[in-house]
Amino acid sequence: MTELLQQLVNGLSLGAVYALIALGYTMIYGVLRFINFAHADVFMVGGFIGLYLAPHVPGGGTVLGGMLVLFGAMIGCALLGMGIERLAYRPLRGAPTLNVLITAIGVSLFLQAGGQLVFGAAPRSFPAVFPTGAITLGPLEFSTNQLLVIGVAGALVVALQLLVYRTRMGSALRAVSQNPKAARLMGINNDVVIRWTFALGSALAGAGGVLYAVNYPSVDPLMGVMPGLKAFVAAIVGGIGSIPGAALGGLLLGLIETVVAGSPYSTYKDAIAFALLIVFLLFRPAGILGRARVEKV
Amino acid sequence: MSAPLLQLDQVTLRFGGLTAVDAVDLAIPEGELMGLIGPNGAGKTTVFNLITGVYAPSSGAVSFAGRPLAGLRSHEIVAAGVARTFQNIRLFGSLSVLDTVRVACNRHRAASPLQSLIRLRAFRESEAAVTRRAEELLELFNLLRFRDAEARSLPYGEQRRLEIVRALATRPRLLLLDEPAAGLNPAEKLELVALIQRVHREFSVTILLVEHSMRVVMGVCQRIAVLDHGKKIAEGSPEAIRQDPAVIEAYLGPDHATGLFHH
Amino acid sequence: MIKKNETAVPKPLLGLLLALGAAAGLSAFSDRIDPYHLDVLIGVGINIILAVSLNLIGGHTGQFSLGHAGFMAVGAYAAAAVTLFLGPRLIPDAAPGGFQENALFLGALLSAGLAAALAGLLVGIPSLRLRGDYLALVTLGFGEIIRVLLQNFEPLGGALGLNGIPPYTTVFWVVASAALAIYVVGCLVRSTYGLGFKAVRDDEIAASAVGLDPARYKVVAFVIGAFFAGIAGGLFGHFKMTITPSGFDFTRSIEIVVMVILGGLGNTFGVILAAILLTLLPEVLRPVAEYRLVLYAVLLVALMLLRPRGLFNFRLGRRVSSS
Repeated sequence: MTELLQQLVNGLSLGAVYALIALGYTMIYGVLRFINFAHADVFMVGGFIGLYLAPHVPGGGTVLGGMLVLFGAMIGCALLGMGIERLAYRPLRGAPTLNVLITAIGVSLFLQAGGQLVFGAAPRSFPAVFPTGAITLGPLEFSTNQLLVIGVAGALVVALQLLVYRTRMGSALRAVSQNPKAARLMGINNDVVIRWTFALGSALAGAGGVLYAVNYPSVDPLMGVMPGLKAFVAAIVGGIGSIPGAALGGLLLGLIETVVAGSPYSTYKDAIAFALLIVFLLFRPAGILGRARVEKV
Repeated sequence: MSAPLLQLDQVTLRFGGLTAVDAVDLAIPEGELMGLIGPNGAGKTTVFNLITGVYAPSSGAVSFAGRPLAGLRSHEIVAAGVARTFQNIRLFGSLSVLDTVRVACNRHRAASPLQSLIRLRAFRESEAAVTRRAEELLELFNLLRFRDAEARSLPYGEQRRLEIVRALATRPRLLLLDEPAAGLNPAEKLELVALIQRVHREFSVTILLVEHSMRVVMGVCQRIAVLDHGKKIAEGSPEAIRQDPAVIEAYLGPDHATGLFHH
Repeated sequence: MIKKNETAVPKPLLGLLLALGAAAGLSAFSDRIDPYHLDVLIGVGINIILAVSLNLIGGHTGQFSLGHAGFMAVGAYAAAAVTLFLGPRLIPDAAPGGFQENALFLGALLSAGLAAALAGLLVGIPSLRLRGDYLALVTLGFGEIIRVLLQNFEPLGGALGLNGIPPYTTVFWVVASAALAIYVVGCLVRSTYGLGFKAVRDDEIAASAVGLDPARYKVVAFVIGAFFAGIAGGLFGHFKMTITPSGFDFTRSIEIVVMVILGGLGNTFGVILAAILLTLLPEVLRPVAEYRLVLYAVLLVALMLLRPRGLFNFRLGRRVSSS
């Protein structure tokens, strides 16, 4: 029982990071209908922005200082995301999915290779930007970082949900994701909405990057690859295009992975995520909270 | 009279709460040229999709040449002898005009795919025969001059004609034409009427024609069935349909009594 | 250049025989060729096989696969298992380069192809229900699962892989296999049957409406494509003499995809050119090796923006202006 609770917290903190990345995938898929492979690398850049920002932020090691680092990474990634959209994806509006997908893979490779050139290929240890400590609760022990990751991620998901359902930009975003053509006819500037979607999604990935780095205190240029793929699995499992679905999928995947990692089959943990992906795509492609589409003849 | 070639028996299709096709009976004897008309959204194309296996009926049965089609997939229904065209033209984007017809001859080629690797005389002859047959069909429909052009780059009317040729290349016993006159100008419509009659005669094929244009339907069909809101509301000769009050009401609303089919 | 009609290539079988003859000739003089050039040639040949076989799946049939390296891995391990474990028992004292050794290698390559084809069948079946980027993800997932399974399978070396694979791969085997792959894919797609691959790619519903079974075509494409990827894997293993699961990861799959995209989907000739170009590119870029990957990525994005239908896409046939 103790073991299980401990695993639950571990799984939730990992899942919270997956959820943050998955939100970006799901939002971008919602408006543009393609998998933004580069999203995982925006997450990586978020980690590095945190690394470089940490020494220059007043009040390092305090909650306030940590939050400043987090916001810095979010703003940096939002700008990066908007830049990628403007330079690489906008010229391809209306092009076949395949071309956009390849472009996304190209951008992803560019960020990885560029990251290796600029940041160096070796992993760098990540400073303690938040106050660290352990909380003991009977036989259970949590690090404050784990709770922090869960708390911050939870707050961001709630903020996003409010943004999407309570603001004008949010309703424009939903309109574009339901029917881009009709949205344009209603006077919505799709390009603006898409740019904002990239900014929001990338900011969440940036936050995820810092939180991930805080918890596994190191960053490297390829750190986005695996969490990125798994977050995408999370987005599909939850139901692509659904914000609560992405959050749910992320948590679910984090939990499953933590349980497998603690079992004798730990070396198979990377395969589990993909097996889950295949099972879902085959038997419930719409995901837990998504809706299926049918082709009209 | 012998059993009809195509028979729909109380065919119903429901999407959730919506009944798109409601207990439709239809029997087409071999050799007939029948029309299926109705206002927009009456369920005409849906009936085609039910016959060709795109949708499975919620209840009722479709049978072709005495054989139930339930459970057969689209390509198996083609193999049974039913071919169709599409309301929104569906040509293959990367195939030339000739290849569009060749690919539809697949069912009747003599050589197996493995033979394409060994390339014996039998394979080459079978391929040449397919090409010849495709060219003959194109010639018949005055499309051979476009032989090597991309199918999708043809003028609109020619694309519609090519779809009919493609359907005929599968050697159907029943040809389903889904609004072949859509988007054609009056002169082209007249040509189309002549073309449908020619196909019916020369290929001795049974035809079910879904059409919006009254001029086309009244001009060629021997018998007409009318759908409205998924239900069959009338069936009979063109003259009978022209006069049927239920049909006039379905098309123009209750206030219009006459004058519908005269322009 | 390449025309669509079957008549355009009058004697494909003769072409294949000429290529095999050239392979034998090249092989006979191989000790006079600079070993570095020989290595590059072998690398080019293996990549041509991979690109041409992926082109059947992704180009002609339109089933976007990101797991081709997985098929290659299956083939590489199957072939290495045959020569490493079966070889010493079957031919304990074979002369190097002799008939027995070559016969063993032929058997190993065929096993590689068959094992990979079986994997292709397994991956092809889900392709029946999925399309576009969802299918890409499933194939990616399959590729990664194959890698993780190999990493955990100790009899085949686990994460460390297999070492000491005999260097059976010669220019002859590579050129002959590449010629065979090009021949098989080329003949197949130009036959009446093979036009169905393109028809399925263009419009599955219309393809069914002319009596083609889209499911069957997709599975056939996956099986044949995987077969040749497996052979490429077998050649690769017996060329490098060592294989590890991580050598067949997602990045390797992407490299092959890029060759196909660069050459133009469904354009066999262009894909061959692209495979040659992309194998030589790293050699040319050796002086600026550290920027290689960045340049590669920039090239990929630029290509998609500037020539989305491939570098070597020349419009086939003529267009009719619409009236």
